[in-house]
Amino acid sequence: MNGITGSTALWYASRATGVVSLLLLTAVVLLGVLVNRQGRLPGLPRFVVTGLHRSISLLSVAFIAVHVITAIADPYVSIRLTAAVIPFTSAYKPFWLGLGAVSLDLIAALIVTSLARAHISRKLWRGVHWLAYAAWPVALAHGVGSSTDLQRGLLLWLAVGCTLAVAGAVTWRLAGAARDVPRAERAAATLAQGRPRPRARLPHEGPASPRRPADYGRPADHRRPATDRLKEADLR
Amino acid sequence: MTYATAAPNLALAPTQPLSPPPGGAAGLPRLLPDRGAVPVDLRTHLGRYGRPPYRGRRRVLIPVMQESGLTGRGGAAFPVHRKLTAVVEAGTRPIVIGNGAEGEPASDKDKALLWISPHLVLDGLQLAAEAVGSQSVGLYVHRSSRLQERLRAALAERTAVGIDRVPVEIIDAPPRFLAGEESALASRANGGAARPAFKHPRVFERGVAGRPTLVQNVETLAHFALIARYGARWFRSLGTAEEPGSMLCTVHQADGTRDVVETVLGTPLRNLLALGDPAQGLGAPSGEAAAAQAVLVGGYHGAWLPASMAARMTLSNAALRPAGGFVGAGVLVALPADRCGIAETARVTRYLALESAGQCGPCFNGLPRIATVLDELAGPRPDRRALADVKRWAGLVEGRGACHHPDGTVRFVRSALQVFRAEIDLHAQGRCTAPRAQPFLPLPADTASTDADWN
Repeated sequence: MNGITGSTALWYASRATGVVSLLLLTAVVLLGVLVNRQGRLPGLPRFVVTGLHRSISLLSVAFIAVHVITAIADPYVSIRLTAAVIPFTSAYKPFWLGLGAVSLDLIAALIVTSLARAHISRKLWRGVHWLAYAAWPVALAHGVGSSTDLQRGLLLWLAVGCTLAVAGAVTWRLAGAARDVPRAERAAATLAQGRPRPRARLPHEGPASPRRPADYGRPADHRRPATDRLKEADLR
Repeated sequence: MTYATAAPNLALAPTQPLSPPPGGAAGLPRLLPDRGAVPVDLRTHLGRYGRPPYRGRRRVLIPVMQESGLTGRGGAAFPVHRKLTAVVEAGTRPIVIGNGAEGEPASDKDKALLWISPHLVLDGLQLAAEAVGSQSVGLYVHRSSRLQERLRAALAERTAVGIDRVPVEIIDAPPRFLAGEESALASRANGGAARPAFKHPRVFERGVAGRPTLVQNVETLAHFALIARYGARWFRSLGTAEEPGSMLCTVHQADGTRDVVETVLGTPLRNLLALGDPAQGLGAPSGEAAAAQAVLVGGYHGAWLPASMAARMTLSNAALRPAGGFVGAGVLVALPADRCGIAETARVTRYLALESAGQCGPCFNGLPRIATVLDELAGPRPDRRALADVKRWAGLVEGRGACHHPDGTVRFVRSALQVFRAEIDLHAQGRCTAPRAQPFLPLPADTASTDADWN
């Protein structure tokens, strides 16, 4: 079995951080969907979901940075800095490394717009954030294609597991989007879920009134029309 | 005539030959004609007030407004001169919009003013536009064809006479409770839905078309037009030192009549509302004032006060704020003793919940829940936990909306829980003091059911 020597350390570091990045990015996507669906993690307050989504995405940036820097620094194959950023310009496995560069650029756009979110329009942020759904599969394809690690054994199952999790989350996201209650109907929808209201009438305490009029809750203006100051009918 | 030197004290004096200021010995009314509700046409208006006293330069009227102490009459009572200054300093090419949306179902005063004295409002709009140097002016009013027709005719007349310097565009307001909220207005004027937005950037910085936008209630603009003519000292001759001037109120008496009156700030509520004799109860012979059990001040985002307390209060924020109320847009309702305050509150809360813009979770989830449980409290033998639930949820929605809708609703509900505490206890035993179950507080027949209802 090969040990890790000085000359192979960078190669191993690059592969390891690549795998960890995949795990972290998967977690970020799952949490992002959970934020969007306003879901919660069991036993945790609501804001934790947003907080974790944010923190883990920044953590994954750190791992991706190490992944890219070690790959460039590793003398075993020569990858230039430009090839890590500009897609499909690498001499070594141009297609698969190109996919890595694409996902790197997409993730950079996501992070930059999110950090600047207070200063840019919500529409722009939202539009860019949709790219997350493109960045993840491109990153996975980069991982599967450029290294044999993910193609067999335990790591293959890990990749399959991540794929299933993300596919499930995206399905949930789309199913939820189809069921979204329009804003104008939201309050009415909540009101309809309320406890059934008691319909019995209250016997009153005061002097007996000859007849009990109609129920409350029916919008009927029983009062005399507005005074001479204002003719209500004129305003309609 | 030129107004090159514009020291504030000079602006205090009438700026052109005028007939004496409106109002008799008592100084009232200022905004509405002396008698009756005959709409004031342009000829009468010009005969009485003359042309709008343009100053020829922007900013000149701002110190006058500062000295007058005029505050917004739409409910928030924000000092007018501060808004003007903020808009002038926020950038160039500002937009001015008169806000006549008046989504509050219990308020009629803006509609009444626009119907009866439209030219005072339109003068104010022109003068406010001059004060901030605006060339784009709008008037935001309900999609009521007759009112809009009249306003269009009034604008055409003014253009024909040549007293308007800037053309006025009429903007449709949907009949929503929140349509008059400043950011909702800006969104509507931009062609979108009349839904409130988060506060940043503020409307006065970037409102309509990304330009600084001055939004003033139409009554505020009418006062503006009069102050520009008769000066700050004249305006301050009525009202209190802190809250000067007069204001329009929509007064709902316990006998079910409803009127728009102009009154002085600081007037005792007793002079406006016939509070009757609560001890006499319901047997009062017809013709006498019906007894009131409670008074709602500030409209449906306002607060209930026991009638005995209201009888000692004056119409001013200084008096009402410590009791949890405020003047707001001048809605005063005396609730007769023969109705159930909790049932009334539940009805209105249900309406307020349905008028949520559906944007902020605490509002569109919380308010309907509160309304449901209030409904339960209005019935016999509610669930033991109901009262505690309302109180807890009220705390959870407060301060968590883009606008003040949850806060205002919670203020209204909390005051009811306090003022009608005895009634709640009675309901727990399965009884109620109210012999009549007919609704009292006015509510519109419809609430929004589709997104198009917000446009």
